[in-house]
Amino acid sequence: MTALRPRAATATASRAADDALVRVRGLQKSFGTHRVLHGIDLDVREGEVAVLLGPSGSGKSTLLRCINHLEKPDAGFVEVADEVVGYHLSGGRLHELRPKAITRQRARIGMVFQQFNLFPHMTVLENIVEGPVASGVARRVATEEASRLLDQVGLGGRGKSYPRQMSGGQQQRVAIARALAMHPQLLLFDEPTSALDPELVGDVLAVMQDLAESGMTMIVVTHEIGFAREVADTVVFLDGGRIIESGSPGTVLSNPTHERAKAFLSAVL
Amino acid sequence: MTSTDLSDRAAPAHVDPTPIPSNGPGSSALTRRPHDDELLAARLVPLRCKGQWIAAAAVVVLFTMLVNTLVTNKRFQWDVVGHYFLREQILKGLWLTLWLTAATMICGYVLGIALAAMRLSRNAILRTLSFGYVWLVRSVPPLVQLLFWYELASLYPRVSVGIPFGSEFVTVRTAHLFTGILAAFVGLTLDVAAFSAEIVRGGILAVDHGQSEAAQALGLGRGRIFRRIVLPQAMPAIIPASGNLLIGMLKATAIVSVIAVQDLLYSVQLVYQQNYLIMPLLMVATIWYIILTTVLSIGQYFVERHYARGRGNSARRGFWDVTRGNIPLFGRSRRELAGLS
Ligand SMILES: Nc1ncnc2c1ncn2[C@@H]1O[C@H](COP(=O)(O)OP(=O)(O)OP(=O)(O)O)[C@@H](O)[C@H]1O
Ligand SMILES: [Mg+2]
Repeated sequence: MTALRPRAATATASRAADDALVRVRGLQKSFGTHRVLHGIDLDVREGEVAVLLGPSGSGKSTLLRCINHLEKPDAGFVEVADEVVGYHLSGGRLHELRPKAITRQRARIGMVFQQFNLFPHMTVLENIVEGPVASGVARRVATEEASRLLDQVGLGGRGKSYPRQMSGGQQQRVAIARALAMHPQLLLFDEPTSALDPELVGDVLAVMQDLAESGMTMIVVTHEIGFAREVADTVVFLDGGRIIESGSPGTVLSNPTHERAKAFLSAVL
Repeated sequence: MTSTDLSDRAAPAHVDPTPIPSNGPGSSALTRRPHDDELLAARLVPLRCKGQWIAAAAVVVLFTMLVNTLVTNKRFQWDVVGHYFLREQILKGLWLTLWLTAATMICGYVLGIALAAMRLSRNAILRTLSFGYVWLVRSVPPLVQLLFWYELASLYPRVSVGIPFGSEFVTVRTAHLFTGILAAFVGLTLDVAAFSAEIVRGGILAVDHGQSEAAQALGLGRGRIFRRIVLPQAMPAIIPASGNLLIGMLKATAIVSVIAVQDLLYSVQLVYQQNYLIMPLLMVATIWYIILTTVLSIGQYFVERHYARGRGNSARRGFWDVTRGNIPLFGRSRRELAGLS
């Protein structure tokens, strides 16, 4: 996997000191009058795993969706591999990009959803090759790679099944393979195991851990504290649309300073 | 479970050796507890609903009466029906009915899909336009629309192409433009557009929003998302309603006979206005309409089956399974009910 992953655009001289793959600055987002994100700053370096924690409604999903421009921020910006997501700067203004350009940016940012969102009318293999074929890869090449990815997530030989014929855990692993097929520079996970029966969670987390060890940059929203402790490089705690704690898992999970974080962690653990 | 499974099972250790003494004649069968062997050897008899049999018998009787009157009533004049059934005049009308239906459905659906996309777009002007169109066209009976287009000449005697409010390049007299057939085509197409727009919109709304989000996140373009992800999943909701609309339109084309367009019905009318053999000739048209509708219904079945991919096996049952299932007398056999097939 690592060998196939396109390297991030090498940091330019001006960025040499600041080589984060993902840079979020001053991100704000409201739905109507309801302010959901109050100025988020977040850095994720290449190869790093960041876990977002926080109570329901704290804005974790919204933050994740802003990163691949499924939601448009009201203020602030997201930069992935030195490119502002969804906009381009010219004449002192950020102009919204054309759909084609946003599509191109999204192709490099994989996303895995809580509800899997596999395409039910396509077989597993068709699900996985859809993205690469759309971006111009020959179907035969994409199919070969898809079989390899299925092996990687432990589902070799299930390519001809339809999503509804598989368990939730298997579907989620197909969804991960589908995201990987685009060779993303960054993978976003929004509560990938929350819709699964407890005994299926382990398989999915194991695949994610393998990915992290192979050097994939990931931002993961999860309530699996064990995963955060073992796999994360950074744990970020969100509350009410603000980051109230962030740091190594050891610090944030074992010695939270903020009352809200303490309360949340004691409830989850 | 198969019967071999049952007989292979080891005999239970506890079998009551002494039958319960009977209290009197006749009551023994009621009170005696049956042996397990007896239960295992007994044949399964599925529940038969008496009402269903009575209803089926009534239907058979009525159907026989119908066939009887069709055959024995000389006034249907089947020889006349046979004589005209494949006449060139009739076939020409049939052909017009066919291609007018096809043309209005195809053009109507192209317009309808565009209208549905407009209605679902973020642009308020497009949404309002689409809504207004559907509202207006659905409010006017198709027959009135047809007459309206046919009589357009009285409203706008001339139609010209040119700069708005400026000079005109080409001018056509509408009396020549809107012949009966064109009025029929335009009127029916606009009608199909309004109805298909609602059908398509409903189908698209039924697709989970997460689907297009996942496709967006995967880096698919908007056109591809609509064609490959949303539309195929909207199809199961769109097809039955569209099949209805198509069959309705096939028959609705008969209204063009009022503006003297020679469709199937009008061709038949032309014949019976001369020879007064009204009933047999109406039967000719009726039988043709039934044949066409039957063909379309079968086509609809296969299209539905195609779009049932990934929805489990029940939606992909074979044609005969579905047909048999819909006829009570040929319902599932006893073997199937016992799980032996
Ligand atoms: N499309 C939307 N329209 C209006 N409000 C929204 C929308 N999406 C999210 N919200 C609101 O924004 C807030 C944050 O939602 P978000 O989904 O980001 O929370 P979350 O941290 O992911 O919570 P959870 O753990 O329950 O998934 C919530 O109060 C939610 O009601
Ligand atoms: Mg969420």
